[in-house]
Formats: sequence, C-alpha cells, structure tokens
Amino acid sequence: MREPLVHIKNFRMDFGDQVVIRDLSFDVQVGETFGFLGSNGSGKTTTLRALLGIYQATAGTLHIDGKVFEPRDGARLGYLPEERGLYKKESVLDVMVYFGRLKGLTRQKAVTWSLAYLDRVSLADKATTRVDKLSGGQQQKIQLGVTVMNDPELLILDEPTQGFDPVNRRLLMDIIEDQKRAGATVIMVTHQMEEVERLCDRVLLLKDGTAEAYGTVEDVQDRYGGTTIRLHHSGPLPASDLYDIRVAEHNYAELSPRAGTDETDILRELVQRGVSVRSFATARTSLEEIFIRVYGAQTEPSGA
Amino acid sequence: MSTAPRPNRLGPETMSRHNLKTVISFEFFRTVKKKRFWVATLAIPAALAIVFSLIVISNESTSSTAKAQKNARLSFAFTDGSGLVTDTLATLYGGTKATDRARALADVKAGIVDAYFVFPADPTTQPVRVYGVDKGIFENGTYDAVARQILVTAAQQKIGSPQLTALTQGKVTIDSTTYKNGQVSGGLNAVIPPMLFLVIFYVSIVLLGNQMLTSTLEEKENRVTEMILTTLNPTTLIVGKIISLFMAGLMQMLVFVLPVVIGYVFFRSNLNLPDLDLAHLTFEPAPLVVGALLLLGGYTLFTGTLVAIGAIMPTAREAGVFFGSLMALIFVPFYVVSLVVSDPHALIVQIFTYFPFSAPVTAMLRNAFGSLSPIESAIVIGELFLLGVVALRLAVHLFRYGSIEYSRKLSITKSFGRRSASR
Repeated sequence: MREPLVHIKNFRMDFGDQVVIRDLSFDVQVGETFGFLGSNGSGKTTTLRALLGIYQATAGTLHIDGKVFEPRDGARLGYLPEERGLYKKESVLDVMVYFGRLKGLTRQKAVTWSLAYLDRVSLADKATTRVDKLSGGQQQKIQLGVTVMNDPELLILDEPTQGFDPVNRRLLMDIIEDQKRAGATVIMVTHQMEEVERLCDRVLLLKDGTAEAYGTVEDVQDRYGGTTIRLHHSGPLPASDLYDIRVAEHNYAELSPRAGTDETDILRELVQRGVSVRSFATARTSLEEIFIRVYGAQTEPSGA
Repeated sequence: MSTAPRPNRLGPETMSRHNLKTVISFEFFRTVKKKRFWVATLAIPAALAIVFSLIVISNESTSSTAKAQKNARLSFAFTDGSGLVTDTLATLYGGTKATDRARALADVKAGIVDAYFVFPADPTTQPVRVYGVDKGIFENGTYDAVARQILVTAAQQKIGSPQLTALTQGKVTIDSTTYKNGQVSGGLNAVIPPMLFLVIFYVSIVLLGNQMLTSTLEEKENRVTEMILTTLNPTTLIVGKIISLFMAGLMQMLVFVLPVVIGYVFFRSNLNLPDLDLAHLTFEPAPLVVGALLLLGGYTLFTGTLVAIGAIMPTAREAGVFFGSLMALIFVPFYVVSLVVSDPHALIVQIFTYFPFSAPVTAMLRNAFGSLSPIESAIVIGELFLLGVVALRLAVHLFRYGSIEYSRKLSITKSFGRRSASR
C-alpha cells in the first residue's frame, strides 16, 4: 500500500495549561480530498500550523511525504491560511510574481500565469493596482491564485470560501477542482458542509482535541445519521418502535429508522396504521445535520 | 486558464540561493520604488545644493563688496598718532591730514567730507576711531574697510618686503613627514579612508534603522507570515532583507556624495572648500581591513537586534520605543570623542570600545586615528561578529515564533519554552 502523503500520529498540542489537541491521529492519502472539520476553536488551524512547522507540536508525529515539513519543500505546497494577507503596498502582479518566484517559477512563467489567472477571475485590469486598493473579496482571489500558482502536490485550504459571495465561491470551487484533476491532494477546513459533500473523499470531525469521526463521507453519515426518511403525508403520524420522528410539521416529517429496521417495514407500518403517504423518500443524513448533532451548542468564537 | 506551470523542482541549496536572490531583488526594488525613500534620500543633497548655492552667491557678493569697499575712494580727513600713515598713502585713498580735530568732526557732521579717521599711537592696542556720514548699514562698512586697508598698506610699506609681509600674515606652506614603526605615516591623509567606514555605518544605521525595525513587522502586519514561513526559510528572508537594505543604504550614500563630489570638482574655489588633495590620501591596508570588518560586524549586530525587536512587537509604533534607545547608543561615543582621540586608554573609552552597541563607533574612530591595537581590533571584531550572529539567530527564532502572534507581543521566554515534539 502506498504511503500516505500526510501522516499525523498521537499529535498533542498544549498552549501553556490549555490542551488544544489531546491525541489526534489521521492520514491523508495521495490524490484524495480530505475535509478537516470542527467547530470554532476545536484546533483545526492549530493542527495545520503544526503540520507545516509554524507551531512546534508538544508531542506526536506530523509528516508530509514521510518527513517533517521544511520551508524548502514549499514549492510543492499550496497553503491558504486562515489569516489572510498580502503585501498591501505592492502591485497585484508584483506580489504574485514574488510568491511565484519563491515557489520556484521563473519570472516569465510567473508573469504569464498571473496574467492568465487574473483574467480568469475577472481582475485582469487590476494587475498594476496596489493590493490595498482591492476589495476584500478581490484580495481573497489574489491569495488563492498565489496558493495554487505553483501547481502544488499538496493543497491545504483553511476556510477557503470565507468572505466569498456565492458566485465567487463557485469560481473558487472550480479552481480547487482543477487542482484535484491535476493530481493535487487537498486538505480543506471549511464550515460549508455542502462543499465537503461535493468535494471530499474523506472527513475528520475534530472534537475536544481528538477525532470524533474519521472516514469516508458515507461512513460518517452512516455512523451519525444513517438514513433519513422524508415523508409527505396527510393525517396524524403515529409513534412507532420502528422509527424516531425527528421533524414533523405541516404534513411533512423526517424519520430516523431504528437499528435493524428496513425502510420498507416502515412504509408498510405507516400504510397499515392509516397514514395517507403522498411521498416517501430515503436519503443519507446531511453532514450539516451531523455537524449540528456532534457539536451541539459549542459556540467558541474564534478558531485556534 | 491552462493548468498551472509545474515549477522546476530545484535542489535545496539551489532553491535557497534562488530564494535569497528573489528576496533581495523584491525588497530592494520595493524600497527604492517608495516615494518616502526618495524624499528622504534627495532631501539631504537638495539641502546641500541649496546651502552650496547660497555660499557661492554669498561669497561672490561678499568678495565683490569687500573689494569695492577696500578700493573705494572717500573724501576723508585724518589724524595719525602712530606715524605710520603718510600723506602720500592717505592721498591715494582720498584723504587729507586734518589739523583741527573739532573742525574735521564738524565737516563730517556738515557732510563736507565723508569721514574723519583718528589713527591712534598704537593701532594694535588702541582702536582706530572713525566718524562718518551715515550711508546705511552696509555702505558704512566702507569706512572700516578703507581705514583698515590704509593701516595694512602702511605696515607693508614699513616692512618693505612682500615676503616678510606674507610671513607676518602666516602665509606659509608646511609639508610634514612623520614616522611610525620606521615607516612614513600618512597623518591626516591616512585617517580619512578608514573614517569613511564610520560614515557608511552611520548613514546606513541612522537612515535605514527604522526600516530594519519594521521590515519583519510588515509580514506580521500584512498577515503574510504563514505564507512566508511555509515557502521560505526565515533565515533566508531576514538575511535577504538585511542585504537589500544595505544595498539601498549604499545607493543613498551615492546620492549624498554626488553633490559633494560635483561641488568639490567644479566649484571648489566658489565654495571655499579646503584644498584637500585626494591624491595624497594614504590607503593603509590594515586600518582599511579592520574598518571594513568593524563595519560589517557592527551592521550585523545592529540589524540583527533591530529585526529581533521588530519580531516581538505587534506594531511599528511599539517597536519605535526601543529604536530610539538603540540609536542613542551609537551617538554616545561622540560625547567623549576628544578623549577617544587624545586618551584612548581612559576607562570610559575602554568601556565604550567593548560595550557591544557603542563598540562599532568607538572602535572605528580609534582605528582611524591609529589607537586601536591589533589585539583590541581582533577582540572587538570577534565580539561584534559573534553577537551579530547570535542576534541574527535570535531574530530568526523570534520571527519564526513571534510573527505568528499577529496582534500580540511575543514573550521571549515562552518562545524558547516551546518544546519541540519528537517528530
């Protein structure tokens, strides 16, 4: 079996007396898109910073491609940090070319790529504009460009859609998908669960400094939500040992089958008990629902 | 858009050199592209040009006025108690001997003559009294100039020899030859070249120190630290910044020196510049090498310290407090400069020679004046380089762990207290 590109084992991170990560282990395989999920303050950004050597881990193994990450490996990495920023007093093109050069591109290639990218994200006329004259969303686009311009083998995106409107979010997702198609391994921290469902092969839910759930999206959905039955009906909805009623309003209901219960048994039970079933559909529980269920009322304001 | 260009995967060493060049180029050009840089750089030559112009205009005006006044012909009366002023000489300047002092004064008051000069018995100890018609503040100077010139001419006539006259005026040229260790020493001509290192040190630190302080703050304030730390070795970044600032400093010095050189070459006489013959400058290898090493060591120490301060401070404003203190230290040795020159073994001079932040200036002064022994040179150079490297390593460490604390001041003890994982 091929070695994982990212390997984290028994990672622990303390800040003084505060334990941010208790014991975390996971792998990210080459070519997969990995969703790293958790509530605010759960330690996602801290884990990424430790993986990239920005923080020194208190304990544990954090490897990229079999070794501790060094800045000299930066030409293979694309990292969009949570704290966004660019050299604000310089022109857009100068900043992009600078980072392109630092990632090993020739000046000519960096210029050519930057101009093509600016054209794609509708900022072609801003090439010579100072960065601080751009809007926040425009700066985000420039930063994403800087992140992917070296065609990275590993792309780490910490809340990439933060601050984007829906149109630009779609554009950003397209760019990320381009990178996936080009063979990049992607680690993505996001609170946009539909993006995770759309893009990610596997996910990890981080809670209380450990992995609360870890596996394919389907595994996690099965473990936490399983199947949800979406039912449109008329007449009262009776309680039953076969299911739990999670939502019931205006002749619409969402039912969770109890362990070992088949959906057809539930449909039969409903019909037998006189419920007029207008539609009956099964679906996996959405990640968003699972997220809410797992993190409940955890409302820490800032990311650690 | 096409798929991104896959960069050439360079080897670690090649990549490091490539990145250093990239940082130097980026930092240098962004510094020299700033308006603020050129305002600061051109302000000094512009001020020099204005001062030079004023000097030229003033000198020409003064010279012509003095000449006109000296040669002015007045109608005046005079009495002479010294016996130096002959009638013939006075006549040349338009004077006639007065016999009645009161009458001569009355003639001045009535405007019949321009002035009445009373030459005393001993003009070297007693004042020459001048009574004149008021012609305005500047024109009134004519009386003084004519009276003085009459006495000078009278004295020259009395001596009767232009050579003796020149000697009495101290117009002599002395060519000294001194010996050091059996060899002809360069004297003042040997002091100037190593002193230039001190000038370079001052200009680079004073003009660029603030930029050194804020250079890494910029990464922090612009929130680019994480992108930098995952792309570039912090040592490469900091060394690149220091080199680029040094280059910018050299460029500033060129701009400063240019008007001085132009003034010296083309307008030396108009500016009354000292007749310094650059061809006579003596370039002694040992002081030049020591001077260069002191400059490099001092520059490394100061820049390392300034960058380290910048790395732990959240904003330029807070870092500025420390900047002032550090700058004061490079001026302190000038308070005892006479002692540095005359008694280099005095305790205070010794303290300044070895205290790291006053050492570069004190040692460079002593090196230029030839009072820094080889052993002292070696100790100070070693100290500066050693502490410079320590400061740089500290700066890199603090940048690495301080700049991620975006809006907080870094605790140095905490930064060293972070235990590395067994990775």
